[in-house]
Amino acid sequence: MFTRLLIHLAYFLKSSSRYQNTKKFVFDLLENPGSRLKRHFDLFMILLVMMSVFLLIYEINNPPIPYSEWFENIVVVVFISEYILRGWLYSDNHKILIEHYERTQYLGIKFQLRKPLVKIFSSKLKYIFSPYAIIDLLAILPSYRPLRILRIFLVFRLFKLVRYSHSVKLFTEVLANKRFELLTLAMFIGFWLFISSTAIYMFENEPVGGQVRHLFDALYWSIVTMSTVGYGDITPQTPGGRIVALTLIIIGVGVLSFFTSIIVTAFTEKMEELRENRTFSEVENIDNFIIICGYGRVGQEVAKHMDKDQQPYVIIDNSEENFLLARRNNCLAIKNDASKNEVLLNAGINKGAKAVLCTTGNDVTNVYVTLTSRHLNRDIKIISRANRQENIKKLRQVGANFIVQPFEISGLLAAEYVGQPVASQAIFGIINEEKDILMETILVPENSDIENVKIKDIDFEKRRLILIGVISNKTIHCKRNNRYKVKNRQFYFNPADEFILQAKDILVLLGRKYSIDYFKDQIERSSLAIK
Amino acid sequence: MSVKNIAIFGYNPMSFELIKCLDLKQHEVIVVDQDQESLITAADLGFTVIATDYRNDDNLEEVGIGRHIDVLFCFFEEDSNNLFLTISARAMDQKLEIISIVDDPESADKLLVAGANKIIDPYQICGRKIYQLIKNPDIADVLDHTIFGRHDLNTAEILIPPDSPLENTYASQLQLNSRYNLILIAIVDKELGKELHFTIGEQDHRLDAGDILIVLGPSRQIKAFKQEVEKQA
Repeated sequence: MFTRLLIHLAYFLKSSSRYQNTKKFVFDLLENPGSRLKRHFDLFMILLVMMSVFLLIYEINNPPIPYSEWFENIVVVVFISEYILRGWLYSDNHKILIEHYERTQYLGIKFQLRKPLVKIFSSKLKYIFSPYAIIDLLAILPSYRPLRILRIFLVFRLFKLVRYSHSVKLFTEVLANKRFELLTLAMFIGFWLFISSTAIYMFENEPVGGQVRHLFDALYWSIVTMSTVGYGDITPQTPGGRIVALTLIIIGVGVLSFFTSIIVTAFTEKMEELRENRTFSEVENIDNFIIICGYGRVGQEVAKHMDKDQQPYVIIDNSEENFLLARRNNCLAIKNDASKNEVLLNAGINKGAKAVLCTTGNDVTNVYVTLTSRHLNRDIKIISRANRQENIKKLRQVGANFIVQPFEISGLLAAEYVGQPVASQAIFGIINEEKDILMETILVPENSDIENVKIKDIDFEKRRLILIGVISNKTIHCKRNNRYKVKNRQFYFNPADEFILQAKDILVLLGRKYSIDYFKDQIERSSLAIK
Repeated sequence: MSVKNIAIFGYNPMSFELIKCLDLKQHEVIVVDQDQESLITAADLGFTVIATDYRNDDNLEEVGIGRHIDVLFCFFEEDSNNLFLTISARAMDQKLEIISIVDDPESADKLLVAGANKIIDPYQICGRKIYQLIKNPDIADVLDHTIFGRHDLNTAEILIPPDSPLENTYASQLQLNSRYNLILIAIVDKELGKELHFTIGEQDHRLDAGDILIVLGPSRQIKAFKQEVEKQA
């Protein structure tokens, strides 16, 4: 009967969205490294720990402050609830129960409550004995007044800070990474300490006339000497003792430098990751940015334009040289392989990126990156560079929206130059936006001055603009000549005087930047004006 | 259009694209490279090829520089090679049209000093194009259709011959868009020098023989207009 009730409860929890949501919220609050909530919570906890520790220290020598007990109680309640919630998050009891139940059902064996309960119990026990949980528990203990001795655990409250501060966490991680080296070093040190302690005790014990009274003194002297601190409260008097001291000092210098080098290399190894993490967190704070894969010449050129328009972007490049160049140019850059899912995800392909550019000089990479990006995000805009004609089809297949061929365009322009040097100059002028002359589009807004107006009634010449054409998908224009299909719309080249503009039509204009901007402003304003 | 003798130094994907765009019936094209393998591929495609070392002036003369070659393309991948070729060729022929590609933007000025007439930076163009696709894909499309001539639309230059009916008229009187379905983009007005002026209504130009009109439009109408201009000359 009890078993049935438990299983029922487990299924109820599994289906309850409220339970799931609560758990998710708590997860975001305590554990989810990506959530903003956790960041605020961590800050709050750091403050709480600091305040409580200061209060406890203050009270050691001073009379208690009013409300301090009250405050301490709140702190302990917060700590305890945090401890319990983390324990709750650590494993899903109902899942263990259900899994077990379903397995027994499937195999047709009798369901026994004992096994899953043992499993649940052991997983919670695992939590209790995890290092962080122990620290948490020890941090709660000092407020247990009857046991004043527990005050010593106050220190553990400070250890709790490790949990909330990323940089401290990183330091412990670095140390953990070098476990093996540090262990070797510790064994080496232990070995020498043992030898030197016994040796100094033998040479310098009190009956002989030395200052070393017992083995603890010997160990104390050995460590003080080995660490090159050398207080000098115990000094060797006999030649034998001095030889031990000399040896120990030399070994101590070696050990110290070895220790330093371990820590330094561990940090340099971690440095790359650190920088990357910083880039990731910076990327997280921006929206509508663009991922540029490949910071070669093309990537640099694109980045330059984006800088000018203050369009945020992030660069992924695998080569050290390009990465450093990007850094020097103050760009957000990640040195990694852009074809890896993880790298693109970290770069934010699903978190605010609006386009991915594959600009490497290698078509194989471009295809691979395009494929990966499309796989990760179905709707993102992907623009890829194709260096060879035959790869265009492949790039289309793997999901590139636009494909640009640098060699084709250049070839085209070079060929143009042979036949028509002057015309090609004009083309160069337009695409390079020389002398501020550029081609630009203007959308006809609803209710604006130019809606339902004939082309001839808009004096483009007076506005110092050339109308190249109109892009539209309105069927009303369908009968006009000079139609060219552009994607799923029509481009009407050189529209006739009687062409009547509709809302949402797009004018394609050529002119100086400021005349275009001015015209745009005027139209926008007219559409906003109340009529 | 007169027949032009074109020498392309360096065979790579870009020169391949260039040759594809050149009208082979109109021009005599030879491909020059040191690398035998790439030349074999080029020869397989039916191009005229010459294997020679460009660093030697005698070899360049053999190719025809200083004699019948009108246009030289320096399409080596290394800027230094292009620069060397430009200097050698310019020394041999002052009138030669030299077009060079450039890899490092810093080299562009050096190449111009060395005597190149036109510099093409493929990466810069590609970068611009990519950025345009992000910022305003419509424009990228229209540019593809119009000035890159992907479709029927083309840019063309039209020289006004002596005694043309257009002489002594003003650019504003041409009414190209209603009469010929062409758009006048720019003019080279000989009176004002060789510079290109975009016809964005800043000043009116009186047309004379020798002026050049840059027009945009369907190729058939460009041809018609050209005939019109030259017919009564």
